[in-house]
Amino acid sequence: MSNLMIHRSSQRIRPKQLKSIIFLSLMSLAAAIWMIPLIWMFSLSLSSNEALKSDTTSIVPVDFTLENLVGVLEGGQTGQWLLNSVVVTGFTTLGTLLLAAMAGYAFARIPFAGRKIVYPLVLAGLMVPREAMFVPLFLMFAEAELHNTYEALILPRIALPLGVFIMTQFMSAIPSEIEEAARVDGASRWGVFWRIMLPMSAPALTALGIFTYILTWNDFLWPLVSATQREMFTITTGLASLQGNFAQATELGSLMARGVFASVPLIVIFLIFQKHLVRGISLGSGNK
Amino acid sequence: MASLYNVGKALRGKSLASRESLSSNVAGWGFLAPFLVIYFALLLYPILQAVVMGFYDLDLLVISDRTWIGFDNYVRMFWGTDMAWTAQNMADWRLAGLLLLVPIGLSMRSRRLGIVEGSLSAVLVIAIFGLAMGFAPTSEGRWFDSQFWLSFGNTVLFVLLSTPLIVGFGLLLAMALHRPGKWTGVLRTLFFAPFVLSVSVLTLIWAIMLNPQLGLVGTFFESLGLEPISWLTSPFWAMPAVVVATLWWTVGFNIVLFLAGLQDIDKSLYEAAEIDGAGRWGRFRFITIPGLSRTTLLVTVLQVIASFQIFGQVYIMTRGGPNGATRVSIQHIYESGFRDLELGYASAMSVFLFVVMVFFSAVQFRMVRSRD
Repeated sequence: MSNLMIHRSSQRIRPKQLKSIIFLSLMSLAAAIWMIPLIWMFSLSLSSNEALKSDTTSIVPVDFTLENLVGVLEGGQTGQWLLNSVVVTGFTTLGTLLLAAMAGYAFARIPFAGRKIVYPLVLAGLMVPREAMFVPLFLMFAEAELHNTYEALILPRIALPLGVFIMTQFMSAIPSEIEEAARVDGASRWGVFWRIMLPMSAPALTALGIFTYILTWNDFLWPLVSATQREMFTITTGLASLQGNFAQATELGSLMARGVFASVPLIVIFLIFQKHLVRGISLGSGNK
Repeated sequence: MASLYNVGKALRGKSLASRESLSSNVAGWGFLAPFLVIYFALLLYPILQAVVMGFYDLDLLVISDRTWIGFDNYVRMFWGTDMAWTAQNMADWRLAGLLLLVPIGLSMRSRRLGIVEGSLSAVLVIAIFGLAMGFAPTSEGRWFDSQFWLSFGNTVLFVLLSTPLIVGFGLLLAMALHRPGKWTGVLRTLFFAPFVLSVSVLTLIWAIMLNPQLGLVGTFFESLGLEPISWLTSPFWAMPAVVVATLWWTVGFNIVLFLAGLQDIDKSLYEAAEIDGAGRWGRFRFITIPGLSRTTLLVTVLQVIASFQIFGQVYIMTRGGPNGATRVSIQHIYESGFRDLELGYASAMSVFLFVVMVFFSAVQFRMVRSRD
């Protein structure tokens, strides 16, 4: 695109460039349409509830107000739900990364007996529908009396076969000379893993981290059955509980403001790390 | 671990190899242990547990009190009163299913499928579509649980509608966005963005978007001079509306995976093809499609598994309505277990769904492997 700009100033637009400009304009139009629902949510959250009673179809705020957004923080349990989501998502992401990296290191670098049997068994886990197995999981945690705790929301989610797959692929591709040099210098396996392999796996860890973060933040069914007390709701289940009664049309602005609060932490994380997302995955699936 | 390794190195004797392998075993299993423990305890063991619980009558309120009832839960799922076999029952679904015999036969002829495997699949297809699906209650009888079939049928419908659409759109958009440039990067970000929303935000937006009075879709239809449709309360339109909302929400994930796949295709192949005079379609057909076969497999398997587990969208937006038109399997499992308190029956249904999903994934893996 930047090349195109320079060329355009020095010579006439060639048919190929014209085609490219038309194409990008059409794609931009499509992307703009794609964004309408999201923009609309922000717009409604910035409109006064009173004005929304007569007009909800504007994509710029009508009767602009910050009342709804401030209201979310002042009343209700939305703050508590946000906190729950942050704690659960944070620990789940860290746990998933650590476990997947350790397992990936073992599979990629340590020639231990039984490796060729265990690895396919872990890959088979890609086919296990985690969502659908919530009934037996519910019973196990009920017998351990762990429902309505953070542990119950975190533990079932931190063993991610897809994560082990991505980390194994990535670590296999790291040159082994660096590791061997450190071993000769007397570094322990843990030292090699912690100080060499982990930092070198940063792209894969970042991609996996974003995915785990998004998926955990958005987890719905398991928090719905496990965390049943209102103060243990995550923002995802909490927000769902508010949509039950559809007399909500009067409070549309406040409801959308909660949606905004539920989305902003993810949108921010995503915007910061989005470049690594494609890079990390492309490396992960590149050397299958 | 470190000391063992150093001792081994210092000895430099015959025992070095065995000490080294001992150290490797300890280290390997040590690094693997935390993952494996949780993987077995909380991912694999629950499947076993579901199978066992499926044979019990188990009440959510008195978990300790369980009665062994054998296959009763499965009978309740699959059977009814006054059952009879007729050729006409679900004739179109079954005929469509029997068409699966054609690809199986073709694969056997071209030896992509072994004799044993091929015959087994053919027998399975005939047993399910030719025979089993012909059983239904007569006019005097009824299914023990008609909701089970209703919700499973809706789930299959959702899988059939959503998978080609979301995978296809993902591929198209990925190909359109697979070009260098800052602006394309921005476009990628925009198309991916809805994926970061949680399901309850998705429903918050779309339930009102699709509302004929409040939403933008209705306004758009009115501006075209059309009568606004009440999407989510129409038995015909409710499911397509859920599919469209899901497409908007999740297509970004597939775009990213396809983009990763496209990056891995050797660019010189395209240049060579262009020199050989291959057109746009020829390059797509003979370079892009084969080059993406593994990515497409991964995307399709993940999509099918995700689609079978659809729950949040319909549960929050329609509660399975209108009149059961969007009731899906997970919702039926959830309500049987946590509203009707029948955990044993809910487990049996989870096992059924699990078997269907694993079967689908296994078939897809098999298809691609035999093509390679």
